[in-house]
Amino acid sequence: MSSSSLLSSQSAAFSKDKPSAMVPDDFIWQGYSALETQWRVERLLSRYVACIDDDNLEAWPSFFTQEACRYEIITRENVERGLPLTLVFCTSQGMLADRIVSLREANIYPQRWYRHIVSNVLIQAVAEDYLEVHSHYVVLQTRRNGQTSIFSAGKYKDRIVFQNGELKFAEKRVVVDTHSIDTLLVSPI
Amino acid sequence: MTSQYIGNPAIGSPTGNYTGKAPAVWPAKVNQIPKEVFGDKSLFEDELKNIFYGDCWHVVGHFAEIPNAGDFKTFDLGRVPLLIARGKDNQVRVFYNTCTHRGNQLEVATSGNRKEFECPYHRWLFSLDGALAACPGSKEFAPDFKQENFGLMEVKSAQFMGIIFVTMGKNTPPLTEWLGDVVPPTLSTLLGGDGRLKLLGYQKVRYDSNWKGYNDNDGYHAPMLHTAFRLLNWQGGTTGFQRMTKNGHVVFEAELKAIQNNGFVNDPSLVEFKGSDPAKGSRIVQLFPATVMVKHLDIINLRFAMARSHDVTEVHYAYFAHEDDDEAMVQHRIRQSSNLLGPCGMISMEDAAIFQRIHIGNQTPGFAEFQKGVTSLSEVPMDVKQNDETGNLPRWEHYRKVMGFKREGEK
Repeated sequence: MSSSSLLSSQSAAFSKDKPSAMVPDDFIWQGYSALETQWRVERLLSRYVACIDDDNLEAWPSFFTQEACRYEIITRENVERGLPLTLVFCTSQGMLADRIVSLREANIYPQRWYRHIVSNVLIQAVAEDYLEVHSHYVVLQTRRNGQTSIFSAGKYKDRIVFQNGELKFAEKRVVVDTHSIDTLLVSPI
Repeated sequence: MTSQYIGNPAIGSPTGNYTGKAPAVWPAKVNQIPKEVFGDKSLFEDELKNIFYGDCWHVVGHFAEIPNAGDFKTFDLGRVPLLIARGKDNQVRVFYNTCTHRGNQLEVATSGNRKEFECPYHRWLFSLDGALAACPGSKEFAPDFKQENFGLMEVKSAQFMGIIFVTMGKNTPPLTEWLGDVVPPTLSTLLGGDGRLKLLGYQKVRYDSNWKGYNDNDGYHAPMLHTAFRLLNWQGGTTGFQRMTKNGHVVFEAELKAIQNNGFVNDPSLVEFKGSDPAKGSRIVQLFPATVMVKHLDIINLRFAMARSHDVTEVHYAYFAHEDDDEAMVQHRIRQSSNLLGPCGMISMEDAAIFQRIHIGNQTPGFAEFQKGVTSLSEVPMDVKQNDETGNLPRWEHYRKVMGFKREGEK
């Protein structure tokens, strides 16, 4: 793949969000009804953000598939310009774990609390062995002085698979509207 | 508690009423910087006049950000909005981002591609080279109106290997003179030898810090602050150096040996070195007043800084590949650029925290005290070692002179 085709495919991926009406109301996925699938997806997202907000980051990589997972945070500005650079880009569980080791043992930063709010969870596509799920997120940040501000707003674009009886992220793409970062980005989103 | 001062008399304390106002006279000792220069709000107005709108060159972009005819980016120099555009003739020009009619901001997007620039207010239309192409109703304009006199106002600009410099000063020396002999060789290596770069994208950040605090990183701090270098057992070579110019630029060169994986990282592919020559592993160029450019491993990173106010500095970290890279190299650069440096980087995100702490902590009486590498209290050092912090003193000295501050005892 040439870099230009990489650029255009990323750009197209954003503009081609299909309306979820394309997904029928009565699908069956991995033996679950549409309703139960929706519930399991929302529970996965809730557990995922609770893991981050409760500072239980050592467990964070386990939300992803062991083989060939992909996690990236990219600004909407870069996506819409067709630019591939991200803010965080991990292509293995090992890289995810390295991020956490780094912020625990190496990095110096002021302690802040994150509070994720996730909503608008839409199953965009149902394939035999994966789901494409989009949702909106907001991260509220509370600094040490007790003041809370909006740190980041954006969209999760997830590819979710069913593995050993559990839902896992095979791919999690965080597309960030807030491309002006307040000082630094430490924890995952 | 009595009203008497309680403390350690051996240490002492600055006396007098602390006002937070930057002093007009600096100490005779060249390693002492008055802390007030970081937090004094009114000082920023003088800095705009003397530095940002004065006889200095300022980095506002790179050709690779606007590779095609009609591409443009906007940027602010202090509070002055700029429009940087590539014309049909492939020339890059820098304009004031304002319609020549009533001063309406011409382009609001941070970047894009246009066939021409149109002011929506009265539909004045400018071609990419700045000429006024159309202005509705001009038959009824003032008797002395001439269309050819109302092209976009151009800002004086120059380039080095695609880096776009501007100046609003009347007496700014030519760019080659301003860069001097020290900067070009290091900057050339940093830019892949020829500056033929390909834009990968941006990380943009706002620091709650004065621009001088952002730009005061030194050779002493790197192995101290950035624990990741130690944890990764990542040693620089012994052939490195730090050089300065009298007008405030600093360059660093260091060899970068391939990392010896000590089992600390689960996935060492991230810190692989694919560049051809480890002797060219690490390069840093800091240009007065506020520009930092870095090559580390296979990362090429130009940091376009905007001094927004005395306490906010906005920095656009732009990352690049080289035009000759194959696809595997591009992907490698994207991975490294996305994870290691900058405001989200595993190795150096500490810098961001320090910029803010430097800003807050210096709103106290006394001086920022430079120590590592100081050999004379009266002479600004021009010969320093790689891990000395004294490399910043020529920049502070240049700043002092440009701002017109005297030293104690100076006439």
